[in-house]
Amino acid sequence: MAENDQAAVRAIRSGDKDAYGVLVARHSHNLFRVAFRITGNEADAEEVVQEAFLRGYRKLESFGSRSSFGTWIYRIAVRCALDRVASRKLEESSRIAEATDLKRGNLQVADDTAGPERLLLSREIGALQESAMNGLTPLERTAFVLRHLEGLTTREIASALGAAPNAAKQAVFRAIQKLRQRLAALRSGL
Amino acid sequence: MKHLHEEELIEHYYGESTTRNRRHLQRCEACAQAYAPLARDLAGLEIVEPPARDASYGKQVWRALVATLPAYPARRPSWPRAGWWRGAGYAAAGVLLVLGAFVAGRQWEQRKPPTAARSGGAAGQQVVLVVLGDHLDRAERLLVELKHADASSANLVLPMREEAGSLLEVNRLCRQTVAQSDDPALAATLDRLGRVLTELANQPDRLSHATIIRLQNEMEADDLLFEVRVLRSRVPRRQPGGVIPSHGGTL
Repeated sequence: MAENDQAAVRAIRSGDKDAYGVLVARHSHNLFRVAFRITGNEADAEEVVQEAFLRGYRKLESFGSRSSFGTWIYRIAVRCALDRVASRKLEESSRIAEATDLKRGNLQVADDTAGPERLLLSREIGALQESAMNGLTPLERTAFVLRHLEGLTTREIASALGAAPNAAKQAVFRAIQKLRQRLAALRSGL
Repeated sequence: MKHLHEEELIEHYYGESTTRNRRHLQRCEACAQAYAPLARDLAGLEIVEPPARDASYGKQVWRALVATLPAYPARRPSWPRAGWWRGAGYAAAGVLLVLGAFVAGRQWEQRKPPTAARSGGAAGQQVVLVVLGDHLDRAERLLVELKHADASSANLVLPMREEAGSLLEVNRLCRQTVAQSDDPALAATLDRLGRVLTELANQPDRLSHATIIRLQNEMEADDLLFEVRVLRSRVPRRQPGGVIPSHGGTL
């Protein structure tokens, strides 16, 4: 497959745009999976997949022929997903700030889905975990997903995030600490 | 004893623990007790599977993208990059070709004189060259005359027929001499010249209009006049003292 990918890349660089369709069809599922895990949202994940392939196409000239296209486009997708989560956090923050102004400081928790009333009502582990995940920074969430769900090593995570290995390790460590604390608190509130 | 930090326990859970830490965890009950709830929490995190996408998902993504992607311009290797070695190869081949042609020309020039010499010594060679040179001069004049002959005037045949008869005998002798040398081009030209001379020499007193046209066409078709001129240029001119220079004399 890697050789086929290389052949497709050569064809694209020679002006055969349709050859990119082969790469898109081959790697879309993989990208959607990691994008969904990072964003936690189906619509966002689909947009991330499209954006990643678009960025990949535009940056194809910089793609090294000795690299794996699959790994290369995967890293692009991770960064697109990270950007997406970060921008969503920003939007939520501004929305909550507006709501806080209206309610004059009644809101204590940034994520309204994490309230104990809601948890008491749903009692769903998935929702509980998701609310805990929402308490992580975009970088922590992405690092944790890559470590825990995607099974990447510390070095691979660092490469995907464009960070130093120690920074990637610290991001995973902080994410797990926060998750355990929040899950313990949420469980105790059930 | 130094116990493992939470960070090291997390590394152990994900299989990136050092050998020393692994051994410590096997022996240290305190660390094992700290590790157990961590491992339980991490193992308890349910993996939410992404919503399924059907087999055509990749094609759907492509359809959404394709209109927005411009095609890369077709690459042509530039001289200083990919085509450098190819260009260097062409240049080297060109130099070799020129050198080869030069060497071959030199060898051809050096090979020819001995061929003439084999026909019978230096003095004999000079005689042959003189005779051949004169023969080609006369043949050239006759052919020029024939080429410009007015097809409507049939009275000019007599002098041409006599000259052709005279040249025909010399041409036969030259042809015999050339047969002993290694010069197929000269032999072939003398053969063609011989056919034209034979036809002219055997014409009746008056040349018909059709015969003149046919002979002119044969000359044109064979480029006979041109070939005679080329051969004449290869034979050295007679010097004022009657000596033919020995260098450059080629047949």
